[in-house]
Amino acid sequence: MRIVVKPDPSEPRRVVDEVERFCLERGISNDIVFRFQLSLDELLTNVISYGFEGVADDPVITVDIRLGDADIEITIRDNGRSFNPLEDAETPDISLAAEDRPIGGLGIHLTKSFIDTLAYERVEGFNCLTLTQPLEAAGSEESPDEH
Amino acid sequence: MNIETSYSGDTAVGVVSGRVDSSNAKDFDGELSGIIDGGATNLVLDCGSLRYISSAGLRALLIAIRKTNQAGGGLALCHVPENILEVLEVSGFVRLTKVFDTVEEAQASFE
Repeated sequence: MRIVVKPDPSEPRRVVDEVERFCLERGISNDIVFRFQLSLDELLTNVISYGFEGVADDPVITVDIRLGDADIEITIRDNGRSFNPLEDAETPDISLAAEDRPIGGLGIHLTKSFIDTLAYERVEGFNCLTLTQPLEAAGSEESPDEH
Repeated sequence: MNIETSYSGDTAVGVVSGRVDSSNAKDFDGELSGIIDGGATNLVLDCGSLRYISSAGLRALLIAIRKTNQAGGGLALCHVPENILEVLEVSGFVRLTKVFDTVEEAQASFE
C-alpha cells in the first residue's frame, strides 16, 4: 500500500491512522503498531518541518507498507535535502537533569530504539528510509493464539 | 488527547487519554502549563488511557517537570502502559520523573 503525504503538519497523524488500520485489518500486534506509529510521527514530522528548507523542488513524500511472511516493512521516501537520520542525527545525552536537557533531539533516538532494522539510502534525489519489524516481536511472551 | 483534572490541596491529578504526538503536543503543553500556573505545585499524571506519546509530547512533559521543580514541587506519573514506559526508559525520562502504580501512591510521594 502506498500513502502519498502532503507537506503539512497534520499529515503524520493521518498516515499513522492509515498504517494502524492496515495493520489491525491484518491481525498485526498492537506492539508493532505502536512502534510504527511512534516512528512515523517522528520521522514524518522531521521531513515535513525541516526536510525541504532551501529545496526548490515541489515536495514529494510517500510511505509504502509491505507485509511479508516474516516481517513488515515501511519505506519513507522524500525528495528533500539529503539527510541520513542514522548518521546525521546527534545522539542525545539522556543522563542530563531536567534543567540541563535540550528541548528536542529525541525523535530519531526513539525510532532507532523502537525499530528492529533501519536502512537508509539516497536514490535519484530521494531519501529512502526503510523500517523493518519482524512479525513475531522479539521478547513477546504472548501465546500465539492466531496460528 | 484529553486531560481531566481534579485538585486536592496543591496537588493536581490529570487523567490523560488519547495520543500526544506532533500534532497536539502544543495543546498538551498548554494544558499542563495552565494547571501548574494555576497554582498546583505537584502534578500527578494518570497515563492509564494514554495511547502513545512521541518526542514532541516528551518536550511538553519536560517543560512541566521543570516548572513543577522550580515551584518546589514535582511531577509524578502513574498507570503507565508498558510500551509508554519503554518510551520513558529509552528517552531517560524515568530519571526525571517518578513512576508509580497508582494515583494514591503518586499523591503520597508528595506528602
